[in-house]
Amino acid sequence: MSEASAFFERLSVAGRDPRFSKVCGSVRFDIRDGGHLEQWRLDIDHGELRVTRNGGPATTVVNVSAQFADAMARGEVNGLAAIARGEIMVDGDLALALRIGRLFPRTSGPPQRHDSDAGT
Amino acid sequence: MRDIAGTVACIDGNTFMVSDASGDVGSSSGTPVGLFAADTRFLSRWRLTVDGECMTALSVDDSEYFEITFFAVPGEAVDYVEADVSAIRRRRIGPDLTESVTIFNYGERDMTLNVRLEVEADFADIFEIKFDVGDKVGAHYTRVGPNELRLGYRRGTYRREVVVSASEPAEYDPGGLRFAVRLRPGQQWSTRLQAVMLALRPDGVDLRAALRAQRPNDSTLPTSMRDWVAAAPTLDTESVGLQQVYHRSLVDLAALRFAPLSLGGESVPAAGLPWFMTLFGRDSLLTCLQTLPVTPSLTPPTLRILASLQGARTDDVLEEDPGRILHELRYGESAAFEEQPHSPYYGTVDASPLFVVLLDEYERWSGDTALVLELEQEARAALTWIDRYADLTDTGYVWYRRRNRVTGLDNQCWKDSWDSISYADGRLPGFPRATCETQGYAYDAKIRGARLARTVWGDPAYAERLESEAAALYDRFNRDFWLADRGFYALALDHDGTPVDSLSSNIGHLLWSGIVPPERAPRVVEHLMGPALFSGWGVRTFAEGQRRYNPLGYHNGTVWPFDNSFIAWGLRRYGFANEAARIAEGILSAATYFEGRLPEAFGGFDRDTTKFPIRYPTAGSPQAWSSGATMLLIRTMLGINPHEDHLAVDPALPTAFGRIALLDIPGRWGKRDAFARQRPDQR
Repeated sequence: MSEASAFFERLSVAGRDPRFSKVCGSVRFDIRDGGHLEQWRLDIDHGELRVTRNGGPATTVVNVSAQFADAMARGEVNGLAAIARGEIMVDGDLALALRIGRLFPRTSGPPQRHDSDAGT
Repeated sequence: MRDIAGTVACIDGNTFMVSDASGDVGSSSGTPVGLFAADTRFLSRWRLTVDGECMTALSVDDSEYFEITFFAVPGEAVDYVEADVSAIRRRRIGPDLTESVTIFNYGERDMTLNVRLEVEADFADIFEIKFDVGDKVGAHYTRVGPNELRLGYRRGTYRREVVVSASEPAEYDPGGLRFAVRLRPGQQWSTRLQAVMLALRPDGVDLRAALRAQRPNDSTLPTSMRDWVAAAPTLDTESVGLQQVYHRSLVDLAALRFAPLSLGGESVPAAGLPWFMTLFGRDSLLTCLQTLPVTPSLTPPTLRILASLQGARTDDVLEEDPGRILHELRYGESAAFEEQPHSPYYGTVDASPLFVVLLDEYERWSGDTALVLELEQEARAALTWIDRYADLTDTGYVWYRRRNRVTGLDNQCWKDSWDSISYADGRLPGFPRATCETQGYAYDAKIRGARLARTVWGDPAYAERLESEAAALYDRFNRDFWLADRGFYALALDHDGTPVDSLSSNIGHLLWSGIVPPERAPRVVEHLMGPALFSGWGVRTFAEGQRRYNPLGYHNGTVWPFDNSFIAWGLRRYGFANEAARIAEGILSAATYFEGRLPEAFGGFDRDTTKFPIRYPTAGSPQAWSSGATMLLIRTMLGINPHEDHLAVDPALPTAFGRIALLDIPGRWGKRDAFARQRPDQR
């Protein structure tokens, strides 16, 4: 199981998060690995969190590569920076995506470098 | 808008263009000229020539902030210009740049003109310009099409592009475009130039498309500006100068509004041109506090966006903690690649308490308890941050010491330059530091948080806890910061608790927050209005006689209009109406020397010596909290305050103004007028 899948599996156990008590909406994560598409869907209803593999329409759709989704699950990603950089692509309600971003861990450390493919 | 010497700015929120007086942008790596959007320079060269000659502007109309018209002739400025050829450039900023160029032949001969537009795009991040960094990591590319010139920059998945095109046939090359224009005597020729700015995702979607959708056509911006001015109260006064300052401030607040993508079209104030065209926690909160009587619509989106980006985790690069309100949010390359910590950066200790202060003040004016309920969780988290994360020495104060030792800020209070906090003898204290005004904000936040808890959140136990904490802070603060022999409060506490004994404007904010016992207030006021601090125009940031005092020191002696507006508010709170009026008169009179636009700061020189306020060389202008200062000073002169469901008015005018009326002040009372007239015995 990928780190991202494990993260969503853990989330599905969490059930309720008081930080989202005033939030309603759905966020679908489309995680791409070459031709393979893995979808996770978070439905939030006043703090009740439901995680499914449902690929149906959502308020917000977040597109990331499988590699990057794993980095998110490990807490290595600054979401806003990644959106500005084009590594996370958000369609729909961006504010909801930013709120949901708080579910992901964040490890503190020196700034990550993102120059592996610079100058292409 | 002409405040960087010799330049003209055209603004729409965080999209703006700064050019020289003839409309051109030349190469200048270290100065913020060019076309910018979201902290990125999309055009670093935009230069119009006719037959190889640059244009010289005879006249510039910049009466609308989003549109500028240049009337120009080819050739260098000389004493006498006899021009057969002349041109009008009409520039407009919206989500993109459009510029209509019209060339006239008023001569007697047929003419064939070589009209050329030189175009370059360096895609510099605003911080590369600030620190004059030339080398970029990614690669530039140029694509010349039959009908457009496409300039781009790519670094991994990060891609920005500008597409330049014209309505008339042109010859495009990598350095620009060229028109062959034939004009008979009396004829004219026009073209409409466009520069479309794209922030492209790897799948080709443009992040800026949403901004364009909010502005379906060119006419939306003037309409929204007219609505903005029409919705604000009308100022009626015999003072032409004050009228001008009020109108200018209102329009500048409109100019600085920008719509972050996560707000779905609602606008918040950007802090100021040219370096701060983005969201700052402190600046936006203080601007909203200043403008509640005039433009209350700025406040809900500001509180909402700050709430949505409130710290949730612990991060030593961003200096994020749970509950902390952000300092600065940037969208440029340096933020995107985390070379600067602005995504967002949390290195401020005052935004969190001020968030609660604004929420309460907003409710007092608007009666909008729905927003207070909506943001309850965030307000509680901000209050919790004060005690749990800011008290670095367990002494009951808000302290700061940067955790990001590479790019973090040394001083995380409003005076955030490196040398702004010093002892009277010039020594710099160690870290952590606790500045006095921040303790006042924390005290005020607790008092106001208690009111919200009791009246809106239905949590009287929390209200009592906050009130007892506030009372303890009040006692502690008045014991540890008060310099009894000097009669004022220390600027800060050093890491070991030693009071930093310099005399500064910060003590004025303490009056605003209400943390000063009434019996001490007269001594504080004596210092604020004494010759060491009061220049005649306003209260200096730092008093004459302190070792680091310099009338042109950014935070060490200049006069800041925003600072003064809060001091004036504090003076009125403690009943010093005449002193507040003196400050209002000084600052608003100074504005008339800047064409009605209060800059970020101006020199601290004595008014009797210089007779006019001295420009601070790199002051930002327009600056949101300087425009806001006008509004707050008018509030303090009128003495308007929300009192339950009505608006209380208690005017105290300086002698410079005979009559001021502010009509249709919006609030929970509907709309009310406030009148102030000079009493004959005050003359």
